[in-house]
Amino acid sequence: MYASRNIRLCNKDCVCLFVCPTGATDTETGQIDRLACVDGCRLCVDACPSHAIHLVLERYPEPAPRQVALAESMLALCERKSHEERTALAIAEAAPTAGAARVARALARSARILAEDCAREAGYMIPQCEATRELLSQIATDHDGKIRSIAEELIEVTAPGR
Amino acid sequence: MAQATALSAVLSNLSKAAEKQELFGIAERFNELAGLVDGNQARDPSLEALRAEVARDGERDYPALQTAGAEAGDRGVLRAVKWGEKVTTAQRALMDRYASKGDALLEGKQLFLCEACGFIFLGDDPPEICPVCKAPAPRFSNVK
Repeated sequence: MYASRNIRLCNKDCVCLFVCPTGATDTETGQIDRLACVDGCRLCVDACPSHAIHLVLERYPEPAPRQVALAESMLALCERKSHEERTALAIAEAAPTAGAARVARALARSARILAEDCAREAGYMIPQCEATRELLSQIATDHDGKIRSIAEELIEVTAPGR
Repeated sequence: MAQATALSAVLSNLSKAAEKQELFGIAERFNELAGLVDGNQARDPSLEALRAEVARDGERDYPALQTAGAEAGDRGVLRAVKWGEKVTTAQRALMDRYASKGDALLEGKQLFLCEACGFIFLGDDPPEICPVCKAPAPRFSNVK
Protein backbone atom coordinates (compact mmCIF):
# COMPACT_ATOMS: atom_id res chain seq x y z
CA MET A 1 0.00 0.00 0.00
CA TYR A 2 1.54 3.29 -1.02
CA ALA A 3 0.41 6.92 -1.00
CA SER A 4 -0.52 8.80 -4.14
CA ARG A 5 -1.18 12.52 -4.58
CA ASN A 6 -3.98 13.96 -6.73
CA ILE A 7 -2.21 17.06 -8.01
CA ARG A 8 -5.51 18.69 -8.99
CA LEU A 9 -6.70 18.69 -5.39
CA CYS A 10 -3.35 19.62 -3.81
CA ASN A 11 -3.34 23.17 -2.29
CA LYS A 12 0.44 23.06 -1.72
CA ASP A 13 0.11 23.33 2.04
CA CYS A 14 2.99 20.85 2.07
CA VAL A 15 2.08 19.35 5.46
CA CYS A 16 2.90 15.96 3.92
CA LEU A 17 6.54 17.07 3.92
CA PHE A 18 6.43 17.54 7.69
CA VAL A 19 4.97 14.13 8.50
CA CYS A 20 6.69 11.83 6.02
CA PRO A 21 9.42 9.84 7.80
CA THR A 22 11.30 9.02 4.57
CA GLY A 23 10.92 12.16 2.46
CA ALA A 24 8.88 10.23 -0.12
CA THR A 25 6.38 13.11 -0.41
CA ASP A 26 9.07 15.69 -1.29
CA THR A 27 9.92 15.21 -4.96
CA GLU A 28 10.53 17.40 -8.00
CA THR A 29 7.75 15.68 -10.02
CA GLY A 30 4.87 16.42 -7.65
CA GLN A 31 4.30 12.68 -7.31
CA ILE A 32 5.04 10.69 -4.17
CA ASP A 33 8.05 8.40 -4.53
CA ARG A 34 6.36 5.04 -4.15
CA LEU A 35 9.61 3.18 -3.61
CA ALA A 36 10.46 5.39 -0.63
CA CYS A 37 6.88 5.31 0.69
CA VAL A 38 6.39 3.21 3.84
CA ASP A 39 3.85 0.43 3.24
CA GLY A 40 0.50 1.38 4.80
CA CYS A 41 1.96 4.28 6.86
CA ARG A 42 -0.73 6.79 5.77
CA LEU A 43 0.59 9.70 7.91
CA CYS A 44 0.47 12.03 4.88
CA VAL A 45 -3.02 10.81 3.93
CA ASP A 46 -4.39 11.84 7.33
CA ALA A 47 -2.35 15.04 7.63
CA CYS A 48 -3.16 16.54 4.23
CA PRO A 49 -5.53 19.52 4.76
CA SER A 50 -6.79 19.36 1.18
CA HIS A 51 -7.46 15.59 1.17
CA ALA A 52 -5.31 15.23 -1.91
CA ILE A 53 -3.50 12.01 -0.92
CA HIS A 54 -4.93 8.51 -0.94
CA LEU A 55 -3.57 4.99 -0.55
CA VAL A 56 -3.21 2.70 -3.54
CA LEU A 57 -3.59 -0.98 -2.72
CA GLU A 58 -1.51 -3.79 -4.13
CA ARG A 59 -4.35 -6.26 -3.65
CA TYR A 60 -8.04 -5.67 -4.04
CA PRO A 61 -10.84 -7.91 -2.73
CA GLU A 62 -13.22 -9.87 -4.95
CA PRO A 63 -16.32 -7.77 -5.65
CA ALA A 64 -19.33 -8.56 -3.45
CA PRO A 65 -21.28 -11.52 -4.86
CA ARG A 66 -24.30 -10.67 -6.99
CA GLN A 67 -27.36 -12.68 -8.05
CA VAL A 68 -26.46 -14.49 -11.27
CA ALA A 69 -29.70 -13.52 -13.05
CA LEU A 70 -29.17 -9.88 -12.16
CA ALA A 71 -25.56 -9.91 -13.42
CA GLU A 72 -26.82 -11.44 -16.67
CA SER A 73 -29.43 -8.72 -17.03
CA MET A 74 -26.76 -6.05 -16.55
CA LEU A 75 -24.65 -7.72 -19.22
CA ALA A 76 -27.65 -7.80 -21.57
CA LEU A 77 -28.08 -4.06 -21.02
CA CYS A 78 -24.35 -3.63 -21.66
CA GLU A 79 -24.98 -5.35 -25.02
CA ARG A 80 -27.77 -2.94 -25.86
CA LYS A 81 -25.72 0.12 -24.90
CA SER A 82 -22.83 -1.17 -27.00
CA HIS A 83 -25.18 -1.61 -29.93
CA GLU A 84 -26.42 1.95 -29.45
CA GLU A 85 -22.82 3.15 -29.46
CA ARG A 86 -22.27 1.41 -32.81
CA THR A 87 -25.42 2.98 -34.24
CA ALA A 88 -24.30 6.43 -33.06
CA LEU A 89 -20.80 5.97 -34.51
CA ALA A 90 -22.28 4.94 -37.85
CA ILE A 91 -24.52 8.02 -37.78
CA ALA A 92 -21.47 10.20 -37.06
CA GLU A 93 -19.61 8.71 -40.00
CA ALA A 94 -22.45 9.29 -42.47
CA ALA A 95 -23.62 12.60 -40.97
CA PRO A 96 -24.50 15.28 -43.55
CA THR A 97 -23.46 18.20 -41.31
CA ALA A 98 -20.76 18.88 -38.73
CA GLY A 99 -23.46 19.45 -36.11
CA ALA A 100 -25.11 16.08 -36.74
CA ALA A 101 -21.72 14.39 -36.46
CA ARG A 102 -20.97 16.16 -33.17
CA VAL A 103 -24.31 15.17 -31.65
CA ALA A 104 -23.78 11.55 -32.76
CA ARG A 105 -20.24 11.47 -31.34
CA ALA A 106 -21.53 12.74 -27.99
CA LEU A 107 -24.25 10.07 -28.02
CA ALA A 108 -21.71 7.37 -28.88
CA ARG A 109 -19.39 8.34 -26.03
CA SER A 110 -22.31 8.58 -23.63
CA ALA A 111 -23.49 5.10 -24.67
CA ARG A 112 -19.99 3.71 -24.14
CA ILE A 113 -19.85 5.09 -20.60
CA LEU A 114 -23.27 3.55 -19.84
CA ALA A 115 -22.11 0.22 -21.31
CA GLU A 116 -18.99 0.33 -19.15
CA ASP A 117 -21.04 1.00 -16.03
CA CYS A 118 -23.27 -1.99 -16.86
CA ALA A 119 -20.14 -4.14 -17.34
CA ARG A 120 -18.91 -3.09 -13.93
CA GLU A 121 -22.22 -4.03 -12.29
CA ALA A 122 -22.30 -7.27 -14.27
CA GLY A 123 -19.26 -8.32 -12.24
CA TYR A 124 -16.32 -7.11 -14.34
CA MET A 125 -15.30 -4.73 -11.58
CA ILE A 126 -11.49 -4.87 -11.62
CA PRO A 127 -8.76 -6.52 -13.72
CA GLN A 128 -7.86 -8.90 -10.87
CA CYS A 129 -11.32 -10.37 -10.17
CA GLU A 130 -12.40 -13.91 -11.01
CA ALA A 131 -14.96 -12.85 -13.64
CA THR A 132 -12.32 -10.87 -15.54
CA ARG A 133 -9.86 -13.74 -15.43
CA GLU A 134 -12.46 -16.14 -16.84
CA LEU A 135 -13.26 -13.65 -19.59
CA LEU A 136 -9.59 -13.25 -20.51
CA SER A 137 -9.18 -17.04 -20.69
CA GLN A 138 -12.19 -17.24 -22.98
CA ILE A 139 -10.80 -14.48 -25.23
CA ALA A 140 -7.46 -16.29 -25.39
CA THR A 141 -9.24 -19.54 -26.36
CA ASP A 142 -11.46 -17.90 -28.99
CA HIS A 143 -8.79 -15.87 -30.76
CA ASP A 144 -5.36 -16.12 -32.32
CA GLY A 145 -2.57 -13.71 -32.95
CA LYS A 146 -2.37 -10.38 -31.21
CA ILE A 147 -5.69 -10.66 -29.35
CA ARG A 148 -4.67 -13.98 -27.83
CA SER A 149 -1.21 -12.80 -26.88
CA ILE A 150 -2.50 -9.66 -25.13
CA ALA A 151 -5.18 -11.69 -23.29
CA GLU A 152 -2.53 -14.20 -22.14
CA GLU A 153 -0.23 -11.41 -21.03
CA LEU A 154 -3.07 -9.81 -19.02
CA ILE A 155 -3.91 -13.13 -17.35
CA GLU A 156 -0.33 -13.31 -16.21
CA VAL A 157 0.10 -9.74 -14.95
CA THR A 158 -3.25 -9.73 -13.09
CA ALA A 159 -2.65 -13.10 -11.40
CA PRO A 160 -3.21 -13.20 -7.62
CA GLY A 161 0.01 -12.52 -5.77
CA ARG A 162 1.40 -10.22 -8.45
CA MET B 1 -19.68 -14.55 -20.49
CA ALA B 2 -19.75 -11.26 -22.37
CA GLN B 3 -21.10 -11.42 -25.92
CA ALA B 4 -19.14 -10.01 -28.84
CA THR B 5 -20.99 -6.69 -28.99
CA ALA B 6 -20.39 -5.87 -25.34
CA LEU B 7 -16.83 -7.15 -25.18
CA SER B 8 -15.14 -3.90 -26.09
CA ALA B 9 -17.01 -1.93 -23.38
CA VAL B 10 -16.27 -4.62 -20.78
CA LEU B 11 -12.57 -4.32 -21.60
CA SER B 12 -12.46 -0.52 -21.73
CA ASN B 13 -14.18 -0.49 -18.33
CA LEU B 14 -11.40 -2.74 -17.00
CA SER B 15 -8.87 -0.35 -18.50
CA LYS B 16 -10.36 2.49 -16.48
CA ALA B 17 -10.36 0.29 -13.34
CA ALA B 18 -6.66 -0.44 -13.88
CA GLU B 19 -5.92 3.25 -14.36
CA LYS B 20 -7.59 4.09 -11.04
CA GLN B 21 -5.25 1.56 -9.40
CA GLU B 22 -2.35 3.35 -11.15
CA LEU B 23 -1.63 0.19 -13.16
CA PHE B 24 -1.03 2.23 -16.30
CA GLY B 25 0.67 -0.48 -18.36
CA ILE B 26 -2.19 -2.90 -17.71
CA ALA B 27 -4.71 -0.14 -18.48
CA GLU B 28 -3.08 0.42 -21.85
CA ARG B 29 -3.18 -3.28 -22.71
CA PHE B 30 -6.88 -3.56 -21.81
CA ASN B 31 -7.58 -0.56 -24.03
CA GLU B 32 -5.62 -2.07 -26.88
CA LEU B 33 -7.60 -5.29 -26.53
CA ALA B 34 -10.86 -3.30 -26.41
CA GLY B 35 -9.92 -1.69 -29.73
CA LEU B 36 -9.01 -5.01 -31.33
CA VAL B 37 -12.28 -6.77 -30.46
CA ASP B 38 -14.44 -3.76 -31.38
CA GLY B 39 -16.26 -4.96 -34.46
CA ASN B 40 -19.31 -4.94 -36.66
CA GLN B 41 -21.22 -1.87 -37.79
CA ALA B 42 -24.82 -0.97 -37.10
CA ARG B 43 -27.45 -1.97 -39.67
CA ASP B 44 -29.62 1.13 -39.60
CA PRO B 45 -27.49 4.18 -38.86
CA SER B 46 -30.28 6.74 -38.48
CA LEU B 47 -31.11 9.04 -35.60
CA GLU B 48 -34.67 7.64 -35.64
CA ALA B 49 -33.36 4.10 -35.17
CA LEU B 50 -31.13 5.20 -32.31
CA ARG B 51 -33.98 7.16 -30.76
CA ALA B 52 -36.11 3.99 -30.83
CA GLU B 53 -33.34 1.87 -29.26
CA VAL B 54 -32.80 4.35 -26.45
CA ALA B 55 -36.54 4.76 -25.89
CA ARG B 56 -36.94 1.01 -25.47
CA ASP B 57 -34.31 0.96 -22.70
CA GLY B 58 -36.14 3.75 -20.93
CA GLU B 59 -39.55 2.15 -21.19
CA ARG B 60 -38.69 -1.51 -20.76
CA ASP B 61 -35.18 -2.38 -19.60
CA TYR B 62 -34.61 0.17 -16.84
CA PRO B 63 -37.99 -0.34 -15.11
CA ALA B 64 -37.49 -4.14 -15.24
CA LEU B 65 -33.98 -3.85 -13.78
CA GLN B 66 -35.22 -1.43 -11.15
CA THR B 67 -37.76 -4.01 -9.97
CA ALA B 68 -35.26 -6.88 -10.07
CA GLY B 69 -32.60 -4.83 -8.28
CA ALA B 70 -35.02 -3.77 -5.55
CA GLU B 71 -36.21 -7.35 -5.03
CA ALA B 72 -32.63 -8.57 -4.66
CA GLY B 73 -31.68 -5.60 -2.46
CA ASP B 74 -28.83 -4.93 -4.87
CA ARG B 75 -27.90 -1.29 -4.41
CA GLY B 76 -25.12 -1.36 -6.99
CA VAL B 77 -27.62 -2.30 -9.67
CA LEU B 78 -30.09 0.28 -8.36
CA ARG B 79 -27.38 2.95 -8.55
CA ALA B 80 -26.48 2.05 -12.15
CA VAL B 81 -30.16 2.00 -13.11
CA LYS B 82 -30.77 5.40 -11.54
CA TRP B 83 -27.84 7.02 -13.35
CA GLY B 84 -28.55 5.17 -16.59
CA GLU B 85 -32.20 6.18 -16.67
CA LYS B 86 -31.36 9.86 -16.21
CA VAL B 87 -28.55 9.79 -18.77
CA THR B 88 -30.84 8.01 -21.24
CA THR B 89 -33.49 10.69 -20.72
CA ALA B 90 -30.87 13.37 -21.50
CA GLN B 91 -29.85 11.44 -24.65
CA ARG B 92 -33.48 11.33 -25.81
CA ALA B 93 -33.95 15.03 -25.10
CA LEU B 94 -30.85 15.89 -27.15
CA MET B 95 -32.03 13.74 -30.07
CA ASP B 96 -35.51 15.30 -29.98
CA ARG B 97 -34.18 18.84 -29.81
CA TYR B 98 -31.70 18.19 -32.61
CA ALA B 99 -34.40 16.56 -34.75
CA SER B 100 -36.59 19.65 -34.50
CA LYS B 101 -33.95 22.40 -34.68
CA GLY B 102 -31.04 20.87 -36.60
CA ASP B 103 -27.61 22.50 -36.46
CA ALA B 104 -29.16 25.74 -35.16
CA LEU B 105 -29.48 23.97 -31.80
CA LEU B 106 -25.71 23.85 -31.44
CA GLU B 107 -24.98 27.39 -32.57
CA GLY B 108 -22.48 29.01 -30.22
CA LYS B 109 -22.96 26.13 -27.76
CA GLN B 110 -20.65 23.38 -26.56
CA LEU B 111 -21.56 19.73 -25.98
CA PHE B 112 -20.23 18.58 -22.62
CA LEU B 113 -20.03 14.94 -21.57
CA CYS B 114 -19.68 13.71 -17.98
CA GLU B 115 -16.91 11.10 -18.12
CA ALA B 116 -18.18 9.52 -14.92
CA CYS B 117 -21.79 8.77 -15.87
CA GLY B 118 -22.28 9.74 -19.55
CA PHE B 119 -24.60 12.72 -18.97
CA ILE B 120 -24.68 15.09 -21.96
CA PHE B 121 -25.06 18.83 -21.44
CA LEU B 122 -25.50 21.52 -24.08
CA GLY B 123 -24.37 24.98 -22.97
CA ASP B 124 -21.58 27.54 -22.67
CA ASP B 125 -19.78 25.93 -19.73
CA PRO B 126 -19.98 22.51 -18.08
CA PRO B 127 -22.25 22.34 -15.00
CA GLU B 128 -20.44 22.91 -11.70
CA ILE B 129 -21.72 19.55 -10.51
CA CYS B 130 -23.14 16.80 -12.73
CA PRO B 131 -26.90 16.69 -12.08
CA VAL B 132 -26.89 12.90 -12.47
CA CYS B 133 -23.83 11.62 -10.59
CA LYS B 134 -22.59 14.78 -8.78
CA ALA B 135 -19.12 14.65 -10.34
CA PRO B 136 -17.41 18.08 -10.41
CA ALA B 137 -16.96 20.22 -13.56
CA PRO B 138 -13.41 18.98 -14.37
CA ARG B 139 -14.92 15.51 -15.02
CA PHE B 140 -16.71 16.92 -18.07
CA SER B 141 -15.10 16.85 -21.50
CA ASN B 142 -16.02 18.99 -24.46
CA VAL B 143 -17.15 16.88 -27.44
CA LYS B 144 -15.85 18.42 -30.64
